Amino acid sequence: MAKKPFLTAMWFIIFAAGVALIFLFNVGMGSADITVPEILRIVFGGADQSETGYLIIQRIRLPRALAGMCGGAALAIAGFLLQTYFSNPIVEPYVLGISSGSSLFVGLVMLGGITFGFQRITPIFLFIGAFIGAAAIMLIILFAAVRVKNIITLLIVGLMAGYVCGAATSILSTFAEREQLANFTMWSMGSFAGFTWLHLKIMYAIVCPMLLLSFLMAKPLNALNMGDKYAQSMGINVKVARYSLIFISSVLTAAVTAFAGPVSFIGLAVPHICRIIFHTSDSRILIPGAILGGAFMASLCDFAARNILSPADLPLGAVTAVIGAPIVVFLLTRKEKL
Amino acid sequence: MKEVIHTQDLNVGYDKKTVISDVKINALKGQVICLIGPNGAGKSTILRTLAGMLAPVNGTVYIGQEDIHSVRPGALAKQMAVVLTEKLNVNMTSAYEVAAMGRTPYTGFFGKLTEDDHRIVSESMQTVGAMNLAGRDFLSLSDGEKQKVLIARALAQEPQLIVLDEPTSHLDIKHKIEVMRILNRLSNERGMTVILALHDVDIAVKSCQFVLLVKDGKIMAQGRPEDVVGKDTISSLYDIEGAMFDSVMGSLEICNEKSPDVFVASGAGTGTPVFRLLSRMGYGVVTGILHKNDIDCHIAESMKLTIVSEECFEPVTDTNRAVAADYLNKTAFAIDTNFPLGTYNCDNIELLRSSVKPVFSLRSPGEIERLYGNNLNVTYVSSVGRLQEQISGLSAV
Repeated sequence: MAKKPFLTAMWFIIFAAGVALIFLFNVGMGSADITVPEILRIVFGGADQSETGYLIIQRIRLPRALAGMCGGAALAIAGFLLQTYFSNPIVEPYVLGISSGSSLFVGLVMLGGITFGFQRITPIFLFIGAFIGAAAIMLIILFAAVRVKNIITLLIVGLMAGYVCGAATSILSTFAEREQLANFTMWSMGSFAGFTWLHLKIMYAIVCPMLLLSFLMAKPLNALNMGDKYAQSMGINVKVARYSLIFISSVLTAAVTAFAGPVSFIGLAVPHICRIIFHTSDSRILIPGAILGGAFMASLCDFAARNILSPADLPLGAVTAVIGAPIVVFLLTRKEKL
Repeated sequence: MKEVIHTQDLNVGYDKKTVISDVKINALKGQVICLIGPNGAGKSTILRTLAGMLAPVNGTVYIGQEDIHSVRPGALAKQMAVVLTEKLNVNMTSAYEVAAMGRTPYTGFFGKLTEDDHRIVSESMQTVGAMNLAGRDFLSLSDGEKQKVLIARALAQEPQLIVLDEPTSHLDIKHKIEVMRILNRLSNERGMTVILALHDVDIAVKSCQFVLLVKDGKIMAQGRPEDVVGKDTISSLYDIEGAMFDSVMGSLEICNEKSPDVFVASGAGTGTPVFRLLSRMGYGVVTGILHKNDIDCHIAESMKLTIVSEECFEPVTDTNRAVAADYLNKTAFAIDTNFPLGTYNCDNIELLRSSVKPVFSLRSPGEIERLYGNNLNVTYVSSVGRLQEQISGLSAV
């Protein structure tokens, strides 16, 4: 359905090149600069494992860069799926309070985990916590959606659920031990820092199948763009499609939130930018587009977070908000409505 | 003939509450069936049940010989397509892409269109005359253009049956007619069955082979429009007061039951615009002497004007002549609508000629002189529009 296959292909190449480039920057630049040949040598082996450069890249920058790419793609797709679900352009996990729900449950695990008798806080626990939180908020919104059809009301329901979760989280913080609290606070501002290879493996293992699954849903997604009734009349099983959308977007949000904290605006801005760039609503183009776009945008924001006030590390949430919010305002006020 | 869709003991409604009971529909191949009735009567509820989008409260809808709810959605989509009232919120999507969505039941896992699919979509667009819109953004189209594209989308599903909910609302008159012509063509040329809800009675009566009148939770009547739709049916269907549906003309006339202030000598349709003008200006109207087969008589009846009427093709009787003269005397002025003169209605000119009240004549000055001689009460008026000014001038004096 691509209107101009050539242009579409060109943009995909540009996106991919952008992701590769920002990846190299993320690995190479920072408080200690490392040159490209050195990076390649380190990444593809052959470097002495005790070199400083090797340690910096292997332990810190490479996991962080890979986490940023994966997290960005996951958030962008979660946002895209939710936008399709609500047929509304301004929803995303963060806006709907899904990220806040995740945060609360991650908080419970991180701050209260030991109290509950867990010996150690494993990444799997974190993810399960995040998923329960995301799913809980999703259920609240869906329950509200049965009664109210007005999208603004639903947004407010999500927002309120988010506030309640935020309040619960801060109450939780009051009783937390100092050391855990510092950890949790850092986490809750959103950051791709501190990813271990184990975290990374778990995240990729969860996110990649979900991204694939969302791509496999391209046809029902396109039909849903026409509204439920038309989709149904064209033979689409709307219920199954809708439940799958909810499930996939909750899992994706949870996977990111569990390890990187709540990250705003990427899920909102990236699908829009893709719609404008590719000038289509065809999911078969927008899903791969949003995966690349999300990876690029998250990497870019993380790059900015690390380097603007280097060596200090800015909270990722701050950077995505500063970049993302104007984009949203621009999108909402421009003439050609989305 | 084969039934495409039919119902059995069907009650429709929401949440087990019946909205319309006893809906009997037997749609044959190539039929255009129309539900008419006021807003909120339940037309959409019936359509949604027929389309399998709403479970019946009681009874069954059969598509072919199968219960519609036992047919797989994918298979049903190849037999039936719908055009709904809800707004389509598709951004960044061309009209062609919207129409191409109709191929969804036929395409593979990723919805890729084959050459065959493209050919069918193009044909559908051509059938509705929307090929010139193909590349435009759907949201930038006018309501009428959108409707055509949505019909093309339905056609791309290659259905035997197409169900449309109020396909002509919000459309301008050109597109209303165009949409109905497209639907008629589909039924006549392709044998497609069309079921639709309308609230334009005149369009329904003129373009559907079968109508169902829906009101107050039941089907008031159903059958051929000629048999079902009369003056009273439409007025009671819509609870119309102060207006009357003319089933022969298929037009809605606004009633004027005021006692007569003006005598209008009319005939052969020359009176109708004058009746409407005077009613609009607030005058009561008496018209005559009209034969009952005259179109002006027909319209005057629908408008509930006072009429001095004569039996069809009969000479005017003395009684009627006297009644007319009496009305002429009681009214403030008279109008000669430039009606054709013949043996059986020349009495009208006789009447006007003897009038002592002002007479406005729409005839040419030469004709006025020939017919009225030197009667100084007769004023020449060049058109119905000018007539309004003349009458206003009269009442100002």
